[in-house]
Amino acid sequence: MTDNHEQPVLQVEHLDIKFNLRGKVLHAIRDVSLELYEGETLAIVGESGSGKSVLTKAFMGLNDSNGWVDHGSILYQGHDLARYTTEKEWLTIRGREIAMVLQDPMTSLNPLKTIGAQIEEALRLHQGLRGAAARQRTVELLNDVGITEPDRRRRQYPHEFSGGMRQRVIIAIALACRPRILICDEPTTALDVTIQAQIIRLIYDLVHRLHLTAIYITHDLGVVANVADRVAVMYAGDIVEIGTSREVFYSPAHPYTWALLSSLPQLGKKGEELYTIRGTPPNLYHHITGDAFAPRNPNALKADFIERPPFFDITPTHKARTWLLDERAPDIRPPQVLSRIQSLGQ
Amino acid sequence: MPEKLEPFVSVRDMHVTFGERRHRFEAVRGVSFDIFRGETFGLVGESGSGKTTIGRAILRIYPLSAGEVIFDGERISGKISSALDRRVTQRIQMIFQDPMASLNERAKVDYIVSEGLYNVARGISREERERRVADALSEVGLLPEFASRFPHEFSGGQRQRIGIARALIMEPEFIVADEPISALDVSIRAQVLNLMAALQKKRRLTYLFISHDLSVMRFICDRIAVIHLGRLVELSETEELFRHPLHPYTRALLSAIPQPSPDYARSGELIAYDPSVHDYRTDPPAWTELTPGHFVLGNQKECDAYRKEIEGSAKP
Ligand SMILES: Nc1ncnc2c1ncn2[C@@H]1O[C@H](COP(=O)(O)OP(=O)(O)OP(=O)(O)O)[C@@H](O)[C@H]1O
Ligand SMILES: Nc1ncnc2c1ncn2[C@@H]1O[C@H](COP(=O)(O)OP(=O)(O)OP(=O)(O)O)[C@@H](O)[C@H]1O
Ligand SMILES: [Mg+2]
Ligand SMILES: [Mg+2]
Repeated sequence: MTDNHEQPVLQVEHLDIKFNLRGKVLHAIRDVSLELYEGETLAIVGESGSGKSVLTKAFMGLNDSNGWVDHGSILYQGHDLARYTTEKEWLTIRGREIAMVLQDPMTSLNPLKTIGAQIEEALRLHQGLRGAAARQRTVELLNDVGITEPDRRRRQYPHEFSGGMRQRVIIAIALACRPRILICDEPTTALDVTIQAQIIRLIYDLVHRLHLTAIYITHDLGVVANVADRVAVMYAGDIVEIGTSREVFYSPAHPYTWALLSSLPQLGKKGEELYTIRGTPPNLYHHITGDAFAPRNPNALKADFIERPPFFDITPTHKARTWLLDERAPDIRPPQVLSRIQSLGQ
Repeated sequence: MPEKLEPFVSVRDMHVTFGERRHRFEAVRGVSFDIFRGETFGLVGESGSGKTTIGRAILRIYPLSAGEVIFDGERISGKISSALDRRVTQRIQMIFQDPMASLNERAKVDYIVSEGLYNVARGISREERERRVADALSEVGLLPEFASRFPHEFSGGQRQRIGIARALIMEPEFIVADEPISALDVSIRAQVLNLMAALQKKRRLTYLFISHDLSVMRFICDRIAVIHLGRLVELSETEELFRHPLHPYTRALLSAIPQPSPDYARSGELIAYDPSVHDYRTDPPAWTELTPGHFVLGNQKECDAYRKEIEGSAKP
């Protein structure tokens, strides 16, 4: 759970990331600050293109080479990762300190090598383990991620595993080097519900058992409610709201969070229209003035079009970037339908 | 509510087999269900259970190895006349799972949307075709001038709309929607679901809605069939299924739905389905209608237990 007195393990300050595409500059991450606390699971949500992957790939130096950190810092263990440039520097972080689990379990595994060989390779690369020691650790890891008969299974090839089992192997490889931070980028999107539920439980258990700190990226709000201690909501390259899961689901403050939650099919009534967010997200090639969500916000204030709102603190753990929280703002309440989220699942 | 007169689409003891001899694999093993005109019929099950195969077999993309499909009173599976084949091609359409992969990247929207017309309405003029494309695009909320653009210029939600326009231009009565929203994010999902509902009302469409997301199906389906390894295990009206899930596989599926509410999300117990709970050696299972409209696959002993459970929960 979050404890604000603790030192963050990772601290992002005023981060800007840009990409150059055929001479035009796209501003993908716009002045993002974020603290990640030891032992917590932070979920990042937001629609496609909002910058979830670009932000977290920056922690491992994995963004495409046409992108760069334009401003700001990423502090980890006294180092500023934003200043890292060489592969040699990144290899001290990647896998060892921060590891990543990606969406598609098929493309992340080598089809020509046994599962065991692939885990042993990671162990050799990052921990110098070889031979019997590496084999023993491989069996342990497979056991950790819930694969039965690990000694037989390690000799098999990826195609002999189901999608859910392959995702478990990817997690085992990510854990091979005992990282402190585990980033999961849509790890269950390609899986069906029953398998998804198992993988979510697995990640949840591992985080607690191995004292990991996790970042979980998804646009499935059901998954978020299952895994996250805290939730960060991204819109157009910016974090617009962050708080504990209960705060963000039960007392959301930013109009974009309201809109996102309102469009949940679970809140719909048969035969009635579901809520939809009108318009499209802003073009990140253009300069954005004010609150990026304002053009799509039916209740936008004048100020929203003029000046970017600062973060307003709602509780010590909950804050949002919206002029609605300014003392001069009119009293605009969240949509009525959101009150039903509390009772979902009852 | 659907009219419970004649079934509009009737799948009877459908079997679909892939491969030859030693590699023979039966993906659909004796599936039967009826879909009524104007309803949304859901088909849910895990990956590889045969959902897409059933959809494609109804569309005549895959042949049946046994059983039949009746559409509006006529058998459309197996050998049929070319006149009937043309009619079926026009009246039944499919919306595909992945809007990113299912559109031909090198063709303009204009061609993608009107492709189906070339088969069933060869004689129509260019003006007529262009008019129909413009109509179909505006019906799904896209601008007619998008016709001259390429798919990569569109977002995921827009691409799924193009896929829907392509089906609509044929003026179908029955649409097989294979995971039409799985690849889309939350806000765009709502748009596509609203669009499908509005079109259904306006054109009295009938849908077979394939998905593995029960939370979405609860919102749009009138009835839901649950499939496991090529066989239906349960079928009932939607709310009844959520209130009284009987088959252990259905219960496992329901327990896996992630609720978007932190207080309840983690409290629910995850039920795993273990097929060895069934003892079918001496008493084999049959497709049984336990209460009106609620079917389950079970043997005598299981069905007796299910009945008791329903009676028990009916008492105050
Ligand atoms: N190599 C690149 N060149 C140019 N633009 C890029 C590049 N990589 C990412 N972007 C842009 O950065 C923005 C943020 O993308 P990102 O992949 O982080 O989105 P996301 O929130 O992860 O979306 P999704 O949910 O679809 O994965 C997008 O506008 C994307 O097009
Ligand atoms: N053309 C084919 N040739 C051989 N086997 C096939 C073919 N199409 C499907 N199968 C097999 O039939 C079974 C059912 O597949 P199907 O695609 O119908 O599943 P599904 O329920 O739609 O799964 P998903 O949720 O992953 O889309 C699977 O085992 C699959 O591997
Ligand atoms: Mg991403
Ligand atoms: Mg399928």
